[in-house]
Amino acid sequence: MGQIAANDRRTTIDLRNLSRWYGDFQALCDITFQMAPGRVGLLGPNGAGKSSLLKILLGLLPPSSGTGHVLGHVIGVEGTALRRAIGYMPEADALVPGLRGADYVALAGELYGMTRREAQRRAHEVLTYLELEDARYRRLEEYSTGMKQRLKLAQALVHDPPLLLLDEPTSGLDPAGREAMLRLLLTLGRDHNKSILLSTHLLGDVERVCDSVLILHKGRLLLQGGVAELCRRRQDRYRLQIQGDATAFREELRLEGVQILHDNGRGELRVAVPSQWVTRAFFTLADNHRVLLRGLQPDDEDLEELFHRVLKDET
Amino acid sequence: MPDLLDSPNSGRGDRPLTALSVGRDPKESGEDNRSLTVAVPTPLLLCQRVSKWYGPVIGVNQVTLELRSGITGLVGSNGAGKSTLMRLITGQLRPDLGSIEIRGHDAWSTAARRHVGYCPELDSFYEEMSGRQFVEAMARLCGYPRRVAIDRAAFALERVGMAGRAERRVRGYSKGMRQRIKLAQALLHDPELLVLDEPLSGIDPVGRDEFVRLFRDLASMGKCLLISSHELEELEKLTDHLAIMAHGRIAAVGTVAQIRDRLDNHPLLIRIDVKRNSPGDNDSANDERRRLAAGLLKLNDVVGVELLDARSEDAVDPVLVRARNPQRFFQELTRLVLEEWYEIARLETLDDSTSAVLGYLLRGRSA
Amino acid sequence: MGESLNRAATPELLHYRPWRGEFRTPAASVWPIARVALMSIFQKWMFWIIYILGLLIFLLFFFGQYLLSWAETQAGESDVQLGGWGRMNPRHLIALFRGFLKLDGSAESYRGFFAYQGYIVMIVLALAGSILIGNDLRFGSLPYYLSKPLSRWHYLLGKGLAVAVFINLMTTLPAVVLFAQWGVLESWEYLFERFDLLLGILGYGLVLTVTLTVLLLATATWLRRTVPLIMMWTTLFFFCRLLSAAMVDGLRFSPRWRLIDLWNSTSLIGAACLGLDLETIRPGNQPPWYEAALALGGVSLLCLTYLIHRIRGVEIVR
Repeated sequence: MGQIAANDRRTTIDLRNLSRWYGDFQALCDITFQMAPGRVGLLGPNGAGKSSLLKILLGLLPPSSGTGHVLGHVIGVEGTALRRAIGYMPEADALVPGLRGADYVALAGELYGMTRREAQRRAHEVLTYLELEDARYRRLEEYSTGMKQRLKLAQALVHDPPLLLLDEPTSGLDPAGREAMLRLLLTLGRDHNKSILLSTHLLGDVERVCDSVLILHKGRLLLQGGVAELCRRRQDRYRLQIQGDATAFREELRLEGVQILHDNGRGELRVAVPSQWVTRAFFTLADNHRVLLRGLQPDDEDLEELFHRVLKDET
Repeated sequence: MPDLLDSPNSGRGDRPLTALSVGRDPKESGEDNRSLTVAVPTPLLLCQRVSKWYGPVIGVNQVTLELRSGITGLVGSNGAGKSTLMRLITGQLRPDLGSIEIRGHDAWSTAARRHVGYCPELDSFYEEMSGRQFVEAMARLCGYPRRVAIDRAAFALERVGMAGRAERRVRGYSKGMRQRIKLAQALLHDPELLVLDEPLSGIDPVGRDEFVRLFRDLASMGKCLLISSHELEELEKLTDHLAIMAHGRIAAVGTVAQIRDRLDNHPLLIRIDVKRNSPGDNDSANDERRRLAAGLLKLNDVVGVELLDARSEDAVDPVLVRARNPQRFFQELTRLVLEEWYEIARLETLDDSTSAVLGYLLRGRSA
Repeated sequence: MGESLNRAATPELLHYRPWRGEFRTPAASVWPIARVALMSIFQKWMFWIIYILGLLIFLLFFFGQYLLSWAETQAGESDVQLGGWGRMNPRHLIALFRGFLKLDGSAESYRGFFAYQGYIVMIVLALAGSILIGNDLRFGSLPYYLSKPLSRWHYLLGKGLAVAVFINLMTTLPAVVLFAQWGVLESWEYLFERFDLLLGILGYGLVLTVTLTVLLLATATWLRRTVPLIMMWTTLFFFCRLLSAAMVDGLRFSPRWRLIDLWNSTSLIGAACLGLDLETIRPGNQPPWYEAALALGGVSLLCLTYLIHRIRGVEIVR
């Protein structure tokens, strides 16, 4: 028993050979993964099984086969204990019409099992933290998209759960709102030790917030691991940003044995260089051909390329 | 002009904001050929000092905008007036002040609407119809005879990659499929100007890639696209030509680089990493870094240099530079690198992305 | 522990604060659900109007009882003139009124009250259904509730509790008040002698509550919007009544066909609870009350099965 408890502290989510069928349709197929406390991005195209996975983790949907634990609670058996340890932010609006912001969050607290007064106190505290101070007494119908999203986060945070399941937390947000939301999530995860499972279509969100990633496709887990480790390092690739007439510059690059892989027509080149290449050569060539070299970055794989590569390998 | 919101001239606002993108061939790196063809007599879209009120609330406040071709991104926060502007352009609303002309016709007229296709942000379907039925019905509403309508619908569905999936009922469609159907109905009458309100929202990464490709194809066919989006990374892939809206007004129009260069009060933030000679060789890399920082400080346009901790084992600690006058700074940096024999591992401007520019523009106002 | 102390000591007032505390059992969340549901009903002025209408019926009974018993004490022995028809002893007159309106503290009186009040309750419920539960499905609030540590039973119980409170506020509670009033007006012994009537009232209330609650939850889950819901209730309680009447009275089918009229069934069981003879029930030719109970039980069970099937946190794909 003691050993199990010790084990639990290290793995937040532990799934083994989990499958889920809807009739003939297999939504999840043999999912096995362990999630240490941290921030994980859940990626996948539509119909990949992301929402099924979230529902199973919430204990709302029993797995057809396989076993799993969330924070030491058995999936499919200890539903209520499971959900008590999780804060879930649904993708849909999920508002209760007619309520005021503070009531809504307090109701969530009560439903989690806090006493009424305690839930109300905590609701105000969380809303203040999420910068909804002024909107607390407004009716939910009057909330803007950005406020609604933060309100949904508030109701997931009200009981201070160790694990947050977030379903598209930035959908519908404008750039400033999205930035603020991502900063909040990062702070919660990094500084307040919340484990976060972030399901989204926006790869940029995962890049900002998460340190590891799960990629689902057609119900199967294609890839899991740290973002930094999974993305390929490409020592011989560079991205260049140049300004000016680049025709001669490009020609010269070619003569030097540099392969131009892509040119977006707006002054960004992706190149592959021969071995023993020194970056100073870029500056020399640019200088010779009256081109301004404004940027030069090692072109390692980013999450987006990783995602598309993994999906392409699959099909 | 990016600081139009604050400029004393903004009250007049009577000049078109910039010359706009024209017939860009992506293969030609042309930065400047955009402004060459301004001589075309009637622009595709010309908004002149347009204002629109909803009761006491002002939705759009004296907007002047001219579009000729290519893809233009319309960005701004929620409630900035993007959707209102789009509905004005598509002739669903009538401006209270000013005029909107499409190929010389008033946008409110039927003649203008022949040139415009619109993809609304919200779903408005007959959920019981199949995708094909819906698009065909829309084609019939456009006034095409039955046979033509069927052909047009089939063609539009083909274009958006829904031909194989159009028989299913709209009710069961995913968000991406709904967006495609909406786009198909906008393409029916082969309009020159496509006004797309948030076409990328809620679509998965695979679908988004396909959309980006589709939009590029449309643009290369000579269509003019005005696309609003919150997903700036995606927009960046599509175009660098932006119209930024805030508080019902257009805060800036132009390429991201043009707008960025005009933000004089925010010097460019540039990160420079020097290369390490051997993996464990931290000391000499650090010396090199300090030497570079000292060299940079001697440059005229540099307003600040900062040495940062990378907080990671295998990376060299970066140098952060704040510099004005990017043109001259990069020239001098090149000279410095060549004369002093630096080996640069990374040179990256950190705040010239769309989102950084947008942040400066909008925050600069509230601050 | 030390960590949390440190955190509290940071200068930022608006820092995120952890929360530690005991959680109550899931059953404790039934009342908050009901409370919020009731609140959202009472926010609509429409319900106050209908509620006041319901209150008027109660007041009619309340003051009717009071006035008649007051008139009795005032009435003299001499006959009173009744227009041009003739003279009549006032006591007979009062007795006549009582017999006609059944304002006599008898089982008949309470049955009448329940019957009248029941119509109002039905209208209110048809209107309240979409607010109570339909909206949760339409606007996606269901994931909000079901992602909390409670089962769908708790959710349904909470919603059901709200409906039950509402029904009893309009039927059982006023009926009990009328019962107490009669005791005060006539004689204290009435309260003890006719204790069976009180139990009958509670029984009738219980039958109404259970049937209507389950039926409302099921139809609201199914139809979600107000207008279809009202149409459904009209069909259930008005059309079925006509149909059963036509079949039994017109076509001379077996009285069992009256069981398709759920409203009739509730009043049958209610009458049985109040100890009334089935012969007194209009229209005549009724099936026995236990068959009605069986029919209602069956319908309720059916509704519950449907509810449990439909109320879940997942929309099944494909």
